[in-house]
Amino acid sequence: MTLYGYAGKILRLDLTARRAIEIDTAKYRSWGGGHGLGSALFWEFCPDKTITDGRHPANVIVVAASPLNGTLAPSAGRCEVVGVGLNTYPVHWYTRSGFGGRFGTMLRHAGFDAIVIEGRASSPVWVDIRNRKVAFRDASGLWGTDTETAQERIRELVGAPRDLRTGWWNLNESAEEALDPATDQGRTTQKPAILTIGPAGENQTCGGGLVHDAGNIAAVAGFGGVWGAKNLKAISVIGTGEIAVADPTALLRARTATQEKYISDITQPDFASWTKLGKPPKVMAMVPPPNDEFRPQACQGCVSGCRARYAIGYGHETKCQVTSWYFAPARRVARSGAELVEINLRAADAAQRQGLNTYFAITGLHWLEHLVEEGVLGPGRKIPSALPWDRFGTLEFAEKLVHALSCREDIGADLAEGWVQAAHKWGREEDLRTGHMAFSYWGQPEHGYDPRAEVEWGYGSILGDRDICEHCFNIIFTNITSAFAFAQPMRIQAQELVGIIAEKLSPYAKNRPEALDFGDESMYSENVAQLVRWHRHYTRFYKQSALYCDLRWPDFYNTNTPDNRGATASEDAGEHVFWNAVTGDQLTFDDGIEIGRRIWNLDNAIWTLQGRHRDMVHFAPYIYETRFEKGELFPFYMWPCRDEQGKWVYRDLMGRSLDRQKFEEFKTSFYRLEGWDVESGWPTRRTLEGLDLAEVAAALEAAGRLGKERSS
Amino acid sequence: MTGKPARTEGTTRRRFLATVAASGCAMLARPGVLLADGRFVIPDAEGFLVVDTKKCQGCGSCMMACSLAHSGAASYTKSRIQIVQDSFGDWPDDLFIAQCRQCRNAPCVEVCPTGANHVDTEHGNVRRVDPELCIGCRMCIQACPFTPARLQWDQGQRKSQKCDLCVDTPYLDAKGGPGGVQACVRVCPVRAISFTREMPSQDLADSSYQVNLRDWVWKRLGMTTK
Repeated sequence: MTLYGYAGKILRLDLTARRAIEIDTAKYRSWGGGHGLGSALFWEFCPDKTITDGRHPANVIVVAASPLNGTLAPSAGRCEVVGVGLNTYPVHWYTRSGFGGRFGTMLRHAGFDAIVIEGRASSPVWVDIRNRKVAFRDASGLWGTDTETAQERIRELVGAPRDLRTGWWNLNESAEEALDPATDQGRTTQKPAILTIGPAGENQTCGGGLVHDAGNIAAVAGFGGVWGAKNLKAISVIGTGEIAVADPTALLRARTATQEKYISDITQPDFASWTKLGKPPKVMAMVPPPNDEFRPQACQGCVSGCRARYAIGYGHETKCQVTSWYFAPARRVARSGAELVEINLRAADAAQRQGLNTYFAITGLHWLEHLVEEGVLGPGRKIPSALPWDRFGTLEFAEKLVHALSCREDIGADLAEGWVQAAHKWGREEDLRTGHMAFSYWGQPEHGYDPRAEVEWGYGSILGDRDICEHCFNIIFTNITSAFAFAQPMRIQAQELVGIIAEKLSPYAKNRPEALDFGDESMYSENVAQLVRWHRHYTRFYKQSALYCDLRWPDFYNTNTPDNRGATASEDAGEHVFWNAVTGDQLTFDDGIEIGRRIWNLDNAIWTLQGRHRDMVHFAPYIYETRFEKGELFPFYMWPCRDEQGKWVYRDLMGRSLDRQKFEEFKTSFYRLEGWDVESGWPTRRTLEGLDLAEVAAALEAAGRLGKERSS
Repeated sequence: MTGKPARTEGTTRRRFLATVAASGCAMLARPGVLLADGRFVIPDAEGFLVVDTKKCQGCGSCMMACSLAHSGAASYTKSRIQIVQDSFGDWPDDLFIAQCRQCRNAPCVEVCPTGANHVDTEHGNVRRVDPELCIGCRMCIQACPFTPARLQWDQGQRKSQKCDLCVDTPYLDAKGGPGGVQACVRVCPVRAISFTREMPSQDLADSSYQVNLRDWVWKRLGMTTK
């Protein structure tokens, strides 16, 4: 029977024995793909789910594609990575990360829906996948190379042409193989898709990421450091296969509907439209482009490219925060706008080449600078550092800092184990109380969307495993705050906006706009808890398993349409419409939410086995003890709230802190709604069995960590 | 993999004879004029795809749409249009679009021994491959004067295939071919592919099929229109 939308096989890589094993995808079909598939595989193949250090040889990393990768589903080209990470505090949780580009698509064309990485190689290896032919190759010659060099060399080793005009190249190893239809591997014009680590991963640092092509990095979880511990330098994949689609006509029709209805007409676009999906392509760099000689560059199947490849020869495919991790210090020394742009793009390249997560810099650089100003950090200081702090802001300093962090040198030796861990080692716990070190949840830096204002971001992060980095609702802040800041038209007024969004919050908060009210009176309410549930379940399935892009989905509201309603949950171009066309499923939008709930519960079971208890689920002290007074970008934080008369208005949420006790009550409310034990936060048998996870309940019970059913 | 299984049977005598017979008929039916100097002249195609490689965002949507519309499966290898790109290359040399030119002299048509690769007079003289007649000799692929070759080898079916401007697209719910819809044109988010009835220059340089489709919108988005 054809498994529409799937390649049909999963590849297990036993690094210890250097053995490749194929298993059928069909058994895991109910998990969808991406994260769901990854969690199911982790659950099955990780022999010890109590481990709390990603470097442990028992750790299992899963790289998983989606049935939608490479199928024309709009902006669904990402790839998911799961496993025990290396970048949280106090426990390295089972966690996730993701990256864009073309790896997921190529993996499926090579015949696999996912790769399960197990064990530890005795010496550095890279894995060569060509149409289900898998080989473990010696990586001793690649170890120590940066991510670009490693990919270039692997391309050569695989035999891919260096230039673009060489044409079709043959994947066969001999002429005889090509002539025999049973063995013919086919031809391609494409380059292998390679996922690799750089020195930051090789040195097993918490900042080690997995880099694909020039600028796609799965960064936040520290999986690069995990690969380093496993002696795995890279995985290269090239395939010439195809993915059978259940209803190609419906798929093409839905894509056409997307472009004709929801996306701004590229010949006459509305540049100021309010939508996630429907914007014209625009480079999402935090610095202006150096000049006009570049193209937008997109992940496979995306309707609106957000990266660029430039004529200047640097900054390729890097976007978002990576292009501004060094912005604040660079701004102080750059003598011109052009120099500021160059420093930032070159600093971005330096990090990408080392395979280094740059999110530490969002608030971490402020903290380091504070330590320098206080006289604690620097040459001959209590925290010794030979870095040229007097050159802070220059490209030279950025490159030296990146090197130190990637190679465990200077302060990088301590920071490699985690920034909050380093704060404790340096006796700087107080900085987490004053807010000088704004690492708000699980030892990770606050994202620029402070939990004291945008509560769903903070709640979702602390109730999960990491900074969520999910901009589903955050677009509200972006749109209305920008409008206020730059005196732009308010395209949709508050009441209409929350009404449209609430229509799509099915099932938990459907037509309950009060779930979006983050005002002082309702920020801990059950309504908000329902919104956070919806968010957790939506993202676990649609965003992290179906792998719709965070920047383009969900499309709640969209001013390109006559009624301002976006594509999300719509019956012509909604998330589930593409899923059904590709897989042949008959899911409703709510069915997808329910699959997300199942994945979320399995994740919580893993965290529970790792030792989680509700007592651990709290923000850094500064979130409760100081007020949110200074935004990363704007001096106000606008959000729709109800005023004293119950009328919806846009209101500034700055200037407040979270109430510790009320947040505890919120957690109780959330746990109750989720069907978890309100005293421990652990899943209960009833909840798990209701999700067809009796086996998981049994494992928790055996470990003495099954949640108790309590009468409310 | 869910791809179609590779065909393993060899060419039987019966199949060979049938193919030869079909080839003869096809050759006889082939439109065109044999000139005194031996050149075989065929009618011009009534439609062409032109592209702007400087504008393409490299999303591969055209490739996916092509293979889906023609075969119902998502495949790069079976796409009639190929986007070739290098993540580490510098604009504009980081990306190349290889599409069939529907050549005036069409060496791929001329060289086909069975008439499988033919001029479809019912559909705007599009040069296309009839899979029923193709014997998989690959001569058309070798005859294509461009690199990468604008014909593809279907490793599963053991046949050649090429762009037909969407004449034969059973999964596209619109009429294809000249005068109709081309899946790649329709799906391109930035309109870096365009259909034209005006035949571009037939010199062998790619430049004649490379056009500038960047307009004021592109400029407003911060990118050059030069």
